[in-house]
Amino acid sequence: MARPAVILVGADKGGVGKTTVARTLLDYFGAHQTRTRAFDTESPRGTLKRFHPSVTEVVDVTSVPDQMKIFDTLGNAEAKVTVIDVRAGLLSSTLQALNDIGFIESAKKGQITFAVFHILGPSIASLDEIAETARFVGDASYFLVKNHINDTSFFEWDPATYNSFFKQIKGAEEINIPKLNEMACEQVEVAGVPYVSFVANKNAKGEPANYSFVLRGYVRHWLGNVWGEFDRVKLVDLVSPKIENNVRQVAG
Amino acid sequence: MSFRHSVTIIASPRPRVGKTLLARLLTDFHIHEGRAVAGFDLNAGEGSLAQFAPEHVTAADIGDIKGQMALFDRLIAADDITKVVDLGHERFEAFFTLAAQIGFAEEARNRGIAPAIMFMVTPDATSVEAFRKLRSRMPQAALIPVHNELLGAAQHRDKYAAAGSGAVQVRLPVLAPGLRRFIEQPPFSFSESQLANTRNMPLDVHIELQRWLRRAYLEFRELDLRILLADLQSSIRLES
Repeated sequence: MARPAVILVGADKGGVGKTTVARTLLDYFGAHQTRTRAFDTESPRGTLKRFHPSVTEVVDVTSVPDQMKIFDTLGNAEAKVTVIDVRAGLLSSTLQALNDIGFIESAKKGQITFAVFHILGPSIASLDEIAETARFVGDASYFLVKNHINDTSFFEWDPATYNSFFKQIKGAEEINIPKLNEMACEQVEVAGVPYVSFVANKNAKGEPANYSFVLRGYVRHWLGNVWGEFDRVKLVDLVSPKIENNVRQVAG
Repeated sequence: MSFRHSVTIIASPRPRVGKTLLARLLTDFHIHEGRAVAGFDLNAGEGSLAQFAPEHVTAADIGDIKGQMALFDRLIAADDITKVVDLGHERFEAFFTLAAQIGFAEEARNRGIAPAIMFMVTPDATSVEAFRKLRSRMPQAALIPVHNELLGAAQHRDKYAAAGSGAVQVRLPVLAPGLRRFIEQPPFSFSESQLANTRNMPLDVHIELQRWLRRAYLEFRELDLRILLADLQSSIRLES
């Protein structure tokens, strides 16, 4: 059996678009026929669960029973990929917990594929977090995500500072999430469906919906670019090295 | 698949090459053929399609997302209305960039709507390049070069190869000199039944105008039939 993969999506600040990234990941693996489950740590009420209710469970990642629920089932869950949307500010403590239970150790031994998506905020403070986080990740695939989806505040870091942090993590890669038109973004929120369903003009029950064609077009184009970034870092090869790549097909 | 109706975009990156005249003729051709037709005018200023056929044409703008939704969502609506877009040269680039990005031609085909681009050919390099790019940008649309005979003999025609199912080159016949002033006063419809009376046209002018119209309509009808034929052929191929 292929080894299980765990993807942590986290940030040290709220409102930088973790859930957006988690949603695009679920859509991406869905399009690649990779069974995926997700945990939403926005306990008790998860945003991710609203968009992907069938595969998402809301958990409290700091509680031991919930940790058991996630990590003890890794080997025998049907889904090969586990995406965990870590609540704002909990990334370091989650990594600490993972370290304590020996998860990071087994990732190092190659029993588990482990990847971290660190969503960067617009301020320099979040770069300190990288240094802190870097201590734990070891050989995990570490992705620094610059999320431009609602580009209200632009990134104003000093390139030299940024690069010095960037180099601290061996093999860290940068991912850029492009901007999505505000109105398109808003309509997907209102619809409360995965991006691929919106593009395919389907509602949450899978019935034909009546979304604007222009907005669907914008989302399709944007999602294609995001997936292009995931393709570029060879995400599918990372979680399932054997599966044929490039089954890329945007629904619709 | 059989097409319910078509969306024709009349385009050129050049001003004053006869786009609006072609749009007027095509709109009136569809009315003449008894079809429901809606025109969309993406021009600024005087003498635009909306002024000539106000009851059939909506002024459109794609500068903001609301305008884009108003235009494109209507173009692909399943309302059995044939659509004609008069695309001003200022909007040429923005329109096709957006259309390619949101997958307009694909979506139209999926909904049984035949997307077509009628491109006014001119010998300049900008137009040749724009035409060449359109083919790769919107491969699902029929790309029809239109030769406006008023612009002179087309020695550059080999630079514009028709592409897509059923596409042929279309000629816009030249209107006899002196007739122009009779048709340039908006609103004006070529399909008007009392054309000669309401416009105070001398009989010979009226006859000449009708002759010109017949030539133009013949070109359109041929194009229609070719697109229909290509559609039939592809559906036969799919079934066998």
